[in-house]
This record gives sequence, structure tokens and C-alpha cells, in this order.
Amino acid sequence: MLKDELIANNPLGVFKKAANGNDAPPRMGLVISRPGLGKTAILVQIALDNMLHDRQVMHISVGQNIGKTKSWYDDIMADIATGASQEEIMAVKDEISRNRMIMTFNAATFNRPKLEERLNDLIQQDIFKPVCLVIDGLDFAKIDRRLLEDMRDMQRASKLSIWFSAVIHRETPGEIADLDLFDTVLSLDPDDQGDGKIFLNTIKDSTGCVEEGKIMRLDPTSMVVWG
Amino acid sequence: MKRDLEKVRNIGISAHIDSGKTTLTERILFYTDKIHAIHEVRGKDGVGATMDSMELEKERGITIQSAATYCNWDGYDVNIIDTPGHVDFTIEVERALRVLDGAVLILCSVGGVQSQSITVNRQMTRYKVPRIVFINKCDRTGANPDRVTGQIREKLKLNAVPMQIPIGLEGDLVGVVDLVKMRAIYYEGDNGEIIREDDIPVELQAQADEKREELLDAASMFSDDLMESILDGGDVPTDLIMSAVRRGTLALEMVPVFIGSAYKNKGVQALLDSVISYLPAPKEIENIALDLNNNEEEKVLSNDPDAPLVCLAFKLEDGRYGQLTYVRTYQGTLQKGDVIINNRTGKKVKIGRLVRMHSNEMEEIDVAGPGDIVALFGVDCASGDTFTSADICMSMSSMHVPAPVISLAIKPVDNKTSDNMSKALNRFTKEDPTFRTFVDHETGDTIVSGMGELHLEVYIERMKREYDAEVVAGAPQVAYRETITKKAEFNYTHKKQTGGSGQFGRVGGYMEPLEEGEYEFVDKIVGGVIPREFISSCDKGFTASLNKGALAGFPVTGVRCVINDGASHSVDSSDVAFQLAAKGAFKEGYFKAGPVLMEPIMKVVVEGPTEFQGGIMGSINQRRGMIIGTLEEGDYTVIESEVPLSEMFGYSTVLRSLTQGKAEFTMEFARYNPVPKGIVDDVIAEIKKRRDKK
Repeated sequence: MLKDELIANNPLGVFKKAANGNDAPPRMGLVISRPGLGKTAILVQIALDNMLHDRQVMHISVGQNIGKTKSWYDDIMADIATGASQEEIMAVKDEISRNRMIMTFNAATFNRPKLEERLNDLIQQDIFKPVCLVIDGLDFAKIDRRLLEDMRDMQRASKLSIWFSAVIHRETPGEIADLDLFDTVLSLDPDDQGDGKIFLNTIKDSTGCVEEGKIMRLDPTSMVVWG
Repeated sequence: MKRDLEKVRNIGISAHIDSGKTTLTERILFYTDKIHAIHEVRGKDGVGATMDSMELEKERGITIQSAATYCNWDGYDVNIIDTPGHVDFTIEVERALRVLDGAVLILCSVGGVQSQSITVNRQMTRYKVPRIVFINKCDRTGANPDRVTGQIREKLKLNAVPMQIPIGLEGDLVGVVDLVKMRAIYYEGDNGEIIREDDIPVELQAQADEKREELLDAASMFSDDLMESILDGGDVPTDLIMSAVRRGTLALEMVPVFIGSAYKNKGVQALLDSVISYLPAPKEIENIALDLNNNEEEKVLSNDPDAPLVCLAFKLEDGRYGQLTYVRTYQGTLQKGDVIINNRTGKKVKIGRLVRMHSNEMEEIDVAGPGDIVALFGVDCASGDTFTSADICMSMSSMHVPAPVISLAIKPVDNKTSDNMSKALNRFTKEDPTFRTFVDHETGDTIVSGMGELHLEVYIERMKREYDAEVVAGAPQVAYRETITKKAEFNYTHKKQTGGSGQFGRVGGYMEPLEEGEYEFVDKIVGGVIPREFISSCDKGFTASLNKGALAGFPVTGVRCVINDGASHSVDSSDVAFQLAAKGAFKEGYFKAGPVLMEPIMKVVVEGPTEFQGGIMGSINQRRGMIIGTLEEGDYTVIESEVPLSEMFGYSTVLRSLTQGKAEFTMEFARYNPVPKGIVDDVIAEIKKRRDKK
């Protein structure tokens, strides 16, 4: 079945199990890179992995509209399911899209109380109960540490996994001062040789799922992680 | 006399419902001396606005059909199409856009860009219509043209450039500052007909300077001369700015934004000036037709009055004098007494009367040239037909027509009504391709189908008012479909060989889901086990089975039937025998092929104050809806979702009471999806119960 194949073939599945075999604890994760290397694609693949496991994901898009965010999922889904029939892809997509909700905010209006209010609205009415949030498009250069600390508190209190993406302008992740707030930090780096290859480096993982320094590769055309 | 095509503008006025399109058109007609008194849409004088020509429109205060009207401003001929704003009438909007050269997109200064404006804007982009924006209702409490301009950039992705700033807002609105001429314009007199120009008020000077800078920045992208003039310093010539803005607008890369209040008579004349200045003349737009004599090759039409005629019938109306057909000429000349050809039917048509329409009044004319929008009398045709002169055979490219998603049964109250109802249905189906009708042979009911509840309601009302045909309408029914999900084999023998002439036919093969299309028949018979002459009988048998699926009696789509085996009898096999064998084979295979019931899923967009977000999401969830996403914008939230149509009946009432009438929604067909397993039995039982009742 296509769904099982997709789960089995996803290299990002490594973040689900700790080295001791237990389920990985909820985490606060961060994907960093220079612009255009595929941060959103990584977040979408993390979200898709959850959705395929019938776990609900809230995709929070700061500054991007619903249609564009949705098309990211459609494109990545088509890329990871290469070889499957259109019908099979549609069936899986129909099934798992119930596990995703997109929420878009203006950069200026995004904050913890607002997000929490929206989430509680959904959870209390039994409309949607996410186990993972992916937050894409937040400008780390403009937000202050308080917001991230708030989000960290919220993540611990609600036992949700929260993944962020952040743009860096130099090769070094040191540009982001708040790395200490994250359990896992992944970095997308282009190959030094300039031959178009992109690597996904695990800079930090305190949940014990992945060894620090583990490198995965990204298909530069589809931005899908190969493993 | 040859007309100067430079001096013609065909424009549409298009926008969200209740943003004041009809009021604006009314004012335009007043200022262009076409009408002599102003009547409000929901006015106390009970006359209603002139463009809302149908009684029903006047009563509901909404525009249903786009009436074409002609006026003259500053020596320019302006044809205006007033288009409906409700999404159920989208085909009307699309058809109007097809024949227009430019459009005015009206937005409410309080409501801003709402979901219907997004739909209309998308349609304008599809038909490459250059547009200008008029932010109306600046007299209303909460008016904020700056916010709306921001929304145009963000939500409509248009390069919106303000051309004016308001002098006063809300109740204090008295005029506008023209950022091109840098003058204040005041609208005075009872009906705003007295225009007074003055210096810019001191308190607005700084804001005006800043906005003019922005305007010059944006416009200079389209003119090197303007850029140079700005860099040289000193006064920038007005005509240089205007021609740069015009160039940007025609290239669809810039959208000039004007402001005002049609209701309070502010800013309308300036908008008319801008229609002349910034929207295209017919010859500035490239129109393409398909040459039917040349394998439908695309041909650019010439706008030449001496070229062979090409014109498009884009709207029909039934008036006192018979059918009135609105046509737009693209090239050549339409002359009273000419004989033209309807390229769909091949029939010759003689032009009797030719008129220019001003809402319900008309002006007789003898000749119409390229770019004109006129009406013909007594021409039998359907909406969307192309007429040409006898020496060419062209068709304007076909329009995108969505399939109806909702139907209901109607019954005339008496025999007399029955005739009128038929006449009305005949007319409406010709006028509107999304409105369809047929007779259900089992129940004998007349079924009408269309794009939404309101769409059908309006036609039922029109039957009563215009044709005196009162009908009883049943509950709206969802247009379900059936399809199969897996491959299944069949091998069926139809045999009746006892007494009289016998019947024999065996059909073997398989059926499988078809990814695209409704039905496909594949003949893989080898060795003549089914004789050639009976192959088409098998096809007929399968086709007949598609009309009514065995699961719940709905049409079956997405099936490929392949025959690869069979048997015949030299005497007893016949066309009928093989048709019956194929029907039996279909039935046999169908249940093995995992048949499912499919329901129309609608894209539902709800907009409302953020405080009601939770409630709105709850209401969607209760309706088996899937929330795709939410978008927060200040105090407003937009919720995008997909909801089965069967769950949407009466939603407007629910939403109103849930949000104190502050939220609204639009709905359009998205796709067909299988009815979930958990409820499919209930749905089928309900459908059967309803049928039994009949």
C-alpha cells in the first residue's frame, strides 16, 4: 500500500524513535538555511510524515497564503510518491489531508496568546487536535527571544512538537542566537563543490534520535530528502 | 460614417455583492445625461435603480442579469455591462468579461477585498481584462481606503497605485485630491454635479506629496520619458504621467485606484474620466477567434470595419417584442438588413432591428462597427453563438462552463402554467448554460439544475414574474454520481430461446476505473466471437446502463468497459439480444467492481470577524467539512474549507444567527468525492425513501 511505502521510505522518520527504541519525546525543532535551499520543503516532509501516521499537524504560515502553502504539500506528495498511479496518490492525499490544517498569520500579528487561543478553540470543540506544529516564515532577525521562550513554554506545557524554519545569511548557524531553546537543529547546506547538491546536517539533537553530525541528502530539484 | 474606434470604451462594472455597483452605474447614467433623476437601489421612492431592470432585482436589491447600457462621456462612447456580484451567477460575470475591453472593480471601503472580489479578479485575469479600482462607500463609518489598497496588493496580488486621496472620510467626505494634477476636487450641488477645483487643503499637502511620489515611482516604470522628467526635477507634465499609467494598466501590470462614494455623489465623474484615460479602446485589445474552415486555427481579429464581420452573442433576453440578443462586434460592420450566418447552426439570419440599449429603453441604430455592443431583435440563437458574414466561418473561443451541482423537481400548478413553464425553461436554458432542465422519465417530474440554491430560486421566481408560471418546487437534491473503484470481470449470457424468435448473446470482458473522462468502450474481440455488426450493440447496452447505477440510481461515470470474449447464434443473435447481454454483463461486473457513491464537494470560504472564528469552524466541522486553512487579517478571519454540498442547505441562516449577521460565505464546486463509508447506507436509504414517496 502506498501509504505504508511512503512511511517506510521517509528518511525523516528517524526523528520518531530515540536510540533506545522508545518513541521520541515532543521536541522544539529548527531548520535553518540560506534562502531558497528548501526549508519549507523539509517542514512539509516532517508534517507529511506525521499526517501519514494519522497524527494531526497544524501548519502555521507567516506571510504566505493558504493556497501557496497547500500547493507545497501537493508538490512534495507528488514527488515522494513517484511511480504511484495518480489514483493512488489522490486516495492517500484525500485521506491524510484531514490531518492537516493551515493557519496563516501576518508577521505582525503572530504571538503565543493568539496561537494558543486558536488552538484551544479547535481542541475544545473537538475539531482538530494537532500533535505537531510547523511554523514557517517567521523572521528570526526581527522577533525577540521572548517569543521563542513563550513558544518553548507552550511546547513543554502542551507536549506538542513544534518545528520552525529560519533564514540565515551566512554559512554559519551562529547567526541565530537562540539555538539553546531548541532540542533539534537541522541545517541545509549546499555542496562546497558547487555541483548543486544539498545536504541536511544534524547540528544538534538532544532527544537522542539522531547522532549529531548525521548528514542526509536533498534532491535539489524536488527538495525531497533522500536519506 | 466611420466611427473613431479610439473613442469607444467597453467596460464592465464588477465586484462583490452590495459594494454598490448598481448605484455607481445609476450615477454614471445620471452624469452622462442618460437618465434625469436618480433612484436608489433600495430607495424609498419604490422606483429602484435603472440598471436593475428585472422586478426581482429591484425587490431584492441585487443585480441578477447584466444589462448592457450605452452612454457618452466627453465625446467617448461608453458601453457598460453591469454584472452580478453573487457567486451563483458567475457564468454571467464570466460571459460579460469575455466581451469587455476593460473593467472597473468596485470594492467597499469598509468590507475591502472579500472572497467574491477574489473570484471576480481571478476571472478578470483569466480573460486578461485591464482594470481600475474604485473604492466606494468612503462615506461609511469605518471607511479605510488605505487598508483596502493594501488588501488589493496582498490578496489580489495587483500593483495597486492610489491616484487620489480623500478630503475627509466617513460623514465628512467632500471630495478628493487628484494626485496627477495635484488639485483638490469638490463635488457640490444636490447630486454632486457641480465640480469645483481648488488648491489642496494645507493639512493634506504633506500626505498628497508623499502619495504623489509613490504614484510617480510606480508610473515611471512604464515610461522612460517620465523617468527622465522626474530625474530632471521641476514640474512633471500631467500627460506624461497619464500615458505612463495607461501603459502600465493596459499591460496588466498596474492598477490605478480611485476613491469616492457613489451614493453621496462623490468621485464618480473623476472615475468616468479615468475610464476614458486608462482603460483600453477596442483596438488596443487583441481578440482571437477560431477559424472553423482551417482546423480551428487561432486568428487575431482585425478591428477593421471593412473586414468580414465577426460578432458574438453573449446574452439573450426575452422582451415584449421577442428575443433580444446582445452582441459584441469584433471586426466588420453589422448593418440593418444584412444577412449573417450563425456558425453553430449554419443558419442564415437577417438583421431586422438593431438597437443600442440603455437598460430598459432602446435607441434604434442602422450600423454597428467593431467594438460596439448592440442588441438584435428576433434572432433565434443561443448564448455564446458566433455570427459572421457568409464568406468566413469563425467562432470565438469557447467559454468555460461549469457543470451544475444541484437540482430540484418543479411542477406547474395547473395546465395553463405548464405551457408557460416550458416557454420559460426554453428561454432560461438558452440564456444561461449553467441552468439545465430535463424530464425524469420515471417520475415524470421536470428537473432543473444549476450552480446553487439561490441560482435556482431566482429562476423559479422569474418564471412566476415574467411568464406567469407558478410552480411548486421540491426540496433541492444533490447531483450524486456513481463510479467503480477496481477492475472486475463479467461474462454474461442473454438467452431466450423458448417459443417464437429467440434471443442469444454472450458478452465477456472486464470493467475498470477510468482516470479521466466519463466512459470508454474498448473492443478487444478477436476471431469474430461477437460479430462486427453487434459490437456497437454492446456499446449501446453499456451506455444505457450508465444512466442509472445499480447502487442508488445515479449516473455512473469514470468507467472503461472492455469486451474480449463472447458468443453468438447464427439465427437468434440480434442487436437487441446483444444490448441486453451487455446490460446484464454491466450489472454483473458492477457490483464486483466496488461501486461507490460520489458527492459534490464545495469549496466554502467564510469571512467574518475574528471573534466568531471558533463558532464558524465548529459549524463547518458539524457539516462534515474539512477546514483547509484560516487567514487572519486584523479583526477579520477568512476560513477556507471543503464541505459536501448535501450538508450546505440552509447554511446561510445558520451562519447569520451564529455571527449576528456579520459573516458571509461563498461556495463553488470543487470536485466529486466518495461518500464516506460510515454514512453511505444512510444516504442511499434516504434517497430511496424520497423516491418511494413520489
